[in-house]
Amino acid sequence: MTLTHLNERGEASMVDVSDKQSSHREAIATGRIVMQPDTLKLLADGDMPKGDVLATARIAGIQAAKRTHELIPLCHALMLSKVAVDFELDIAGHCVRVKAFCRLEGRTGVEMEALTAVSVACLTLYDMCKAVDRGMEIMDVRLEHKSGGQSGVWERDTTVESSPLDTRETSLETPEPSDELNESPIQIRFFAELRERLGIEKLSVLPGHLSSPTLSALKEWIKSQVDTPEAMDQPRLLCAINHDMVQGDAALGAGDEVAFFPPVTGG
Amino acid sequence: MLRLGLVMKSPFSHLLPEADHGRQKIYVIAIQREPFDIGALYQRLVGEGHETGAVVSFVGRVRDFNESPEVTALTLEHYPGMTERALGDIVQQARDRWQINDAIIVHRIGYMTPGDDIVAVLVSTAHRHAAFEACAFIMDFLKTSAPFWKKEHTHGGAYWVRERESDLASLKRWEQQ
Repeated sequence: MTLTHLNERGEASMVDVSDKQSSHREAIATGRIVMQPDTLKLLADGDMPKGDVLATARIAGIQAAKRTHELIPLCHALMLSKVAVDFELDIAGHCVRVKAFCRLEGRTGVEMEALTAVSVACLTLYDMCKAVDRGMEIMDVRLEHKSGGQSGVWERDTTVESSPLDTRETSLETPEPSDELNESPIQIRFFAELRERLGIEKLSVLPGHLSSPTLSALKEWIKSQVDTPEAMDQPRLLCAINHDMVQGDAALGAGDEVAFFPPVTGG
Repeated sequence: MLRLGLVMKSPFSHLLPEADHGRQKIYVIAIQREPFDIGALYQRLVGEGHETGAVVSFVGRVRDFNESPEVTALTLEHYPGMTERALGDIVQQARDRWQINDAIIVHRIGYMTPGDDIVAVLVSTAHRHAAFEACAFIMDFLKTSAPFWKKEHTHGGAYWVRERESDLASLKRWEQQ
């Protein structure tokens, strides 16, 4: 048994997935947050001071799944094809049960995304309800199911479950629009002095989030994302699309790699 | 990575025609952190063919004065993928203009101190004029279009090196021809 996130010197290292077969991968994670019966009633009745608790926690869970690679150091950035976060109000167990489902076609598993979605959805539930109940407990965050990839299907052994999750599907599922999730983002890279001035090395954006699929619109979008937009206005800013230098405006497509950098000074 | 004696097969070698003598021409582009041995590169260049009558090599080095009078070190950065492609394009352009037998470009990246070699360009041809010109052409375009950036370190702090008008002016020589 070896830990794949450690190299031969025992240092942390990201696993190279370029040789892994792309396959259909799914993961389901669950967790629960235990609260006072009165808190649960307020939540069920929609009377929480901060408003629609479940809708907010669902969006938080979906967003967290999409940003897992920013939180977990050695986790790859994945293009999820589906994220769903479901809630079940368990009156008898005075808790909210959270279930996250993640799917993608890719080279690495999605269990970290599903676990992150559950964790952040639980934290958001805590945040939304803490004004009335500080003693809530987040419990039993765990993987239930994983499929795809070399290790095949993995299921939690339910015979040792103390309180198996109710398998009823709730009607709260709101998957992300799939056309957006299936589109490859434009990858943006910055080099040398420009990278230092922006304080950013890489960005990515879906073409649909630009005002038009052009280099000029991308520059405007970058300026709206950074603390030092004036760095993008240097007259000698150079640009390459997919490793080819471009001058003036140009059309961009999904999956393009766009790099911005100052004049070159090698040799 | 190029290590001495272990030369990377260029991904651009398919662009190059077979030598008239049936010999596969040597065509190396390497970007590496390690120092290079110019003698080993020369042997590599001339070792395989006898149609070469001239070799011109250029070595660029770190000097202790540039924009600041007391440069203590420099850091070189590149754009992986694009840099190799840009260098391949430059060599191809040189081949379109001159009868080049073999060519090697090795460019170092990372931290270097005054006296260290940065870049080596070696070109072999049948006659000397083509070798001189092709080597100068490759260096002129390397300095102005290959994505490398230098940061110079001094006792007073570090700064990114600015482009030089003289480097851009050097390109005009090739446009006029």
